[in-house]
Amino acid sequence: MKPALLELRRRPWRFAPAVLALVLLTALLLILGGLLDGLYTGFTGALRAQPGALLVYSTDANVSVPRSRIDAAMTAEVKRVPGVERVGGLGTALLGADVSGQATQASVALFGYQLAPQGVPGPPEITGQVYADTSLKAYGVKEGQTLLLGPTRYPVSVVGWVSDTNFMLQGSLWGNVDTWREVLASARPDLVMAPGTYQILTVSTAQAADPARVAVAIDAATDGTTQTVTRSFAADSLPGIKQQRSTFIAIISTTFFVVALVVALFFVLLILERTGIYAVFKAIGASSGQLFSQVVLQAVVIAVLSFLLGTLLAMGVGALIPPQVPLQLTAGRAIEVGVGLIVMAALGSALSLRRVVGIDPATAIS
Amino acid sequence: MTALRLENVSKVYPSGDAEIVALDHASLEVGDAEIVALVGPSGSGKTTVLSIAGGLLSPSEGWVVVGGNDISEYNPKRLTNFRREKVGFVFQSVNLVPFLTARENLLVVADFGRRDKKKAAARADQLLGELGLEKRKHNLPAQLSGGERQRVAVGRAFMNEPDLVLIDEPTSALDTKLGEQVMELIVTEVRARDTAAVIVTHDPRMTRRADRVLPIVDGVIGDTAMS
Amino acid sequence: MLAASREIRRSPVRFGLLAGAIGLLMFLVFFQQTLLSALLNSFAGALQNQSGTVLVYTSEARDNVEASALSPDVIAQVAAVPGVGQIGPVGVATLTLVAKGQQLEVAVIGAEPGKPGQPTKLISGRLATAPGEGVASAEAKNFGIGDTVTTAAGGWPVTIVGLTQQSQLNVLPTLFATFDTYTALRKAANPDATAVLASALAVVPSSEVSPEALAAAINAEVSSVTARTRNDAAANALGVSATQASFVIVLTLAVVVVALVIGFFFLIMTVQKTATLTLLRALGAPAGYLVRGLIAQVALVLGVALLLAAGLLAAAMVTANTGLSLTIEPGALVASTAAIVGLSLLGVAFSVWRVLRIEPIQAVNPPALGGIE
Repeated sequence: MKPALLELRRRPWRFAPAVLALVLLTALLLILGGLLDGLYTGFTGALRAQPGALLVYSTDANVSVPRSRIDAAMTAEVKRVPGVERVGGLGTALLGADVSGQATQASVALFGYQLAPQGVPGPPEITGQVYADTSLKAYGVKEGQTLLLGPTRYPVSVVGWVSDTNFMLQGSLWGNVDTWREVLASARPDLVMAPGTYQILTVSTAQAADPARVAVAIDAATDGTTQTVTRSFAADSLPGIKQQRSTFIAIISTTFFVVALVVALFFVLLILERTGIYAVFKAIGASSGQLFSQVVLQAVVIAVLSFLLGTLLAMGVGALIPPQVPLQLTAGRAIEVGVGLIVMAALGSALSLRRVVGIDPATAIS
Repeated sequence: MTALRLENVSKVYPSGDAEIVALDHASLEVGDAEIVALVGPSGSGKTTVLSIAGGLLSPSEGWVVVGGNDISEYNPKRLTNFRREKVGFVFQSVNLVPFLTARENLLVVADFGRRDKKKAAARADQLLGELGLEKRKHNLPAQLSGGERQRVAVGRAFMNEPDLVLIDEPTSALDTKLGEQVMELIVTEVRARDTAAVIVTHDPRMTRRADRVLPIVDGVIGDTAMS
Repeated sequence: MLAASREIRRSPVRFGLLAGAIGLLMFLVFFQQTLLSALLNSFAGALQNQSGTVLVYTSEARDNVEASALSPDVIAQVAAVPGVGQIGPVGVATLTLVAKGQQLEVAVIGAEPGKPGQPTKLISGRLATAPGEGVASAEAKNFGIGDTVTTAAGGWPVTIVGLTQQSQLNVLPTLFATFDTYTALRKAANPDATAVLASALAVVPSSEVSPEALAAAINAEVSSVTARTRNDAAANALGVSATQASFVIVLTLAVVVVALVIGFFFLIMTVQKTATLTLLRALGAPAGYLVRGLIAQVALVLGVALLLAAGLLAAAMVTANTGLSLTIEPGALVASTAAIVGLSLLGVAFSVWRVLRIEPIQAVNPPALGGIE
């Protein structure tokens, strides 16, 4: 067995500080990645789930759903654009909901919809019935329950579940358009929209049509009073999304850098202390390359071990975190972190190359 | 007065399941201004004698009295103070602090003894002058020749005005000419300061200069004076 | 300290690089802290720096003032609570307006002239007293006194008569207008609106009552609302805690990195000069002498790093273009400096332990393979 692996097995405590640091860093990376993914999902679910490739906003809304307003005339024009297959109105209201038996209110986003999003059944026939996102279970919501929405406590009853449809981190409720209008009239008269007027339109395009061209055509047909965008553009335009992403990516990148730094410094130290042993190895015929590859091997093994332990730690932390915190640990993110960890560890250990090469075998005998 | 008295000193090390007896009831007396040479093969215990006399090691058994102080039972902290105040060392490999100049290598002894800085500076300059290093005192060890470095080491050994100087194979790493010079230097300094010295050496040129030459074999110091 | 000080003098590049790296990291920490407090200010400065010392909004809005809508009944209930002195409706909405020819997202706050809810940090001009007048945030430089701001369609012009600082909402350009103007702008944005309700009430307690006491009284008497002092309202506002949390993560990481780097650096150096340290111990240097020297070196590096960080921070305050008004908060900087120093000393503890472990006998008897076990 290679000396490097034997050393790891027989002197594990030597490597304990580095492993400890890397386990903590791994857990941090996974949690950060999980928060980033959870936040994105929780903010954008409702938009990503829309059945059409395009979403239509009024131009002056700056791609903001609450500030957008599309009236019946604009909707009619959109329907006439070649390549447009189906058009549905969509409206939302962000409210607090009283859940019976619960002390705290749930934050909900009530949607009134015409075209069913992916995974959501068609609009309930009965006004006042809604499908609820499964994330609301964490707030004590149950199927068949009545929720009281807004300051005037408008009652809606939960008739089924949908998932990954949240909006702005608020649990979504999906009801027909009348439900939405009635809730607004009751809770937010300032946001009420007349029948036929919606906040945005969801547009599905014909199979042969290019959504990008259809988008341009729609905006031209409405004389520039609409701004038609893709679902992903709409999702990215939600307030805070871009800042969240850049902040988290900055933090995550810094953390990867710290991984490389920890490994680099640790191995510099280790090699310093092993100078005598390495001199002996060289004196008995080991090449610098062989010694160096042992170092890298140790770094990789430590990284893999730390990743496994760190993942367990992150999962443990995830289990303890209250469900309201949008943490989403995914396998994809875990693989990214694992690969990144191994790469950075290898790079970090590579900084010791010069030192290893510089060890003089003659010092073994002086 | 006796500068050094070792009485029935033993030093035993555990080694795996067995024991290594580095010193076996060794006894030695060195007078005030006496130069004693210890001669013996590798593994005979001569370095151990030096280490125990210099307070670097504590004996497993026996008494160690240096300049009237019984250091046999001293704890590490007292031994540290003792080494600083009472003993000078010249090590086998020169052992200068690489980032201190020749002068600073002398001053550092006073620095951790928290001695009067002015007095220390004056003493260092005097010693360096006597050692012929006046012009080299601001050089770093890397800039000094082998002989110059050894001279700095000798100067450092006398910096704290010790009762006893312990010298470990001072000429082993030096060529003939240099070895002669260093030897000359050591004996001159020791004599000039009336200090006692124990020199571990193989070098017959050194043994010729000593007042007494004692053999040490297998941890036992012989009492035959071989001049 | 001779050995410690000379070592630094003879290796200026090494120590200089370390001090430089630490200084940069410390600057990052300081700058982020300054940015954070300015950012938090920009989230809810408008709530904190207005004249109502107590703010009341619906509980259902969960501290998001924009999501709150108070019906006239509820307003009457609040007004009836003993201890309420002056009371004024405040409307809060984010609208798309046109200023200096550019379409902007603007946080619009409507309050009745002469009533609580007026901005308190006016830096030039005057408050809005009539419909069609507005006071705007100075930070983002989107507004100037005398400018006219309109809806996206070009209607309902509002003339800027004053500028404020530290009075933004949700990090947006903010416009304080009269409540009538606010209502008109809301209806222009949504002609179908049947009523424009107040989002919040700004209240000034009567003279014998403290804002905290009044807030507690309102919460006790009117169950459907949340009353907070304006400072609390700002601290609990939407976005504040999330932003704080992410900055805290970054700051903590940075501080930990500083401690790691210092700890490792000094550990590496200690190991590299083990022979020298062993020699000094053999010559009689007390362990304390060596430890003091080490600590002195750490202190010097941190001191130089701190000076560098302070200099960089001063430069950044002058040159940075973040759209936020940055002010240094000495308390926060002192706290993070203390954390960095404390953690660095902890990081160096390992080196201290190594120094204390040195056996002076190894000066004559070096361990067999030149390494330390």
